[in-house]
Amino acid sequence: MASSSTSNSPCAACKFLRRKCLPGCIFAPYFPPEEPQKFANVHKIFGASNVSKLLNEIMPHQREDAVNSLAYEAEARMKDPVYGCVGAISVLQRQVMRLQKELDATNADLMRFTSNDMSNSSFSVFPGQYGARMGHGGGSFDHNSGFSLPYASPWNNNPTGGSSEEGGDGTM
Amino acid sequence: MTLKGGTSQACAACKYQRRRCSPECPLAPYFPPDQPKMFQNAHKLFGVSNILKILKQLNTVQKMEAMRSIIYQANIRDRFPVHGCCWVMSQLQYQIQQAEEELYAVLAQIAFFQQQKQQQQQQEINNNNNVNDSASQLQALSLFHQEAPVNADASALPIASSYPNVAAAYSSGYPDHKDNLVNSFWEYDEMHPFFDTIDDRQSYIDSKEAYDSRYVHNCDVIVDDSKEYPSGSDSSLKDTTQSVEHIADNELKSAAACFSLTSVN
Repeated sequence: MASSSTSNSPCAACKFLRRKCLPGCIFAPYFPPEEPQKFANVHKIFGASNVSKLLNEIMPHQREDAVNSLAYEAEARMKDPVYGCVGAISVLQRQVMRLQKELDATNADLMRFTSNDMSNSSFSVFPGQYGARMGHGGGSFDHNSGFSLPYASPWNNNPTGGSSEEGGDGTM
Repeated sequence: MTLKGGTSQACAACKYQRRRCSPECPLAPYFPPDQPKMFQNAHKLFGVSNILKILKQLNTVQKMEAMRSIIYQANIRDRFPVHGCCWVMSQLQYQIQQAEEELYAVLAQIAFFQQQKQQQQQQEINNNNNVNDSASQLQALSLFHQEAPVNADASALPIASSYPNVAAAYSSGYPDHKDNLVNSFWEYDEMHPFFDTIDDRQSYIDSKEAYDSRYVHNCDVIVDDSKEYPSGSDSSLKDTTQSVEHIADNELKSAAACFSLTSVN
């Protein structure tokens, strides 16, 4: 994906900003001239100076991921000026909650079913790894994994805004 | 909040920019002065002019929602400078995947136990039928009762009148439980159209067909395992049938002897 800044063609950023693309251009490796819309979105939402400062603050080997995430967030904000990519986060969070409820209900059904069966007759355990799953009323995954919901919901006790339960950056 | 000469304190945005906060300040409602970090994050990622450009095209209600999302996005970017909100989304997608897998496992377990219960009930019915049939065979046999079946079909025996009662009792109880289970499965199927609307960049969610095939596969596995259960009722039924045939043959022979003695040649 990274294009060399020594090529004759200026990068998409310098093309858009109508300036000379110098050899040390910080945008050149991540905004190839073949993808002009990518930089246009990022510049419109965040601004070239903000992106430049942000890229200078992180390690070079992480800059490509940072640019890609910024490009995704900028495109989401262009499509939905009100919620941007946060709308997708809310949808995913609601799905997690819904799945958790479904899982709790299914586990309760399983417990009821097996308790009725145990009182009637003996039965063999389901083969393999699923035997250990019995008795887990709340599921085995943690739906409160250290970042708060964007907005308050009936199942969220955290206030809006970021909480500092996790530090640093996660790797994808 | 402190008051100076009747004027309210400057908002966090104007404080940061070191300018006078007018009553018409567009950012004052969203950046209270006691949370300077919030504005710093938003300013670092978006910038004041870009925020105002976004708010310009929205109405009052949308402005509040937009600012909440902007502030949230900026805070997440402050916590995760490289991936920002994309990391949060990937974590949520992973949680969804884990929850789905666990849900499939629990559903498979329920189906397995349901299958076991059905087989146990079927065995109990067969055992009850065998006991009743062997007792009534000796009473119901006559000279002309030649249709004793060779195969192990219990329904053809004379005592089949009591069998429908058992079958009715079995069938009346079973569909209720089956309907409850099917209804709960339909509720799980309803989630899949909702999954289809998620961003397609990461294909972590199986299609409905894949879900159905997986569930059917689990059921097939369960059915295959059930074949290992011994069917003892068939062997006992065959023994009873053979004894019935033996008794019938003896009766026929004695009857034939009677006819031959009285025949007129």
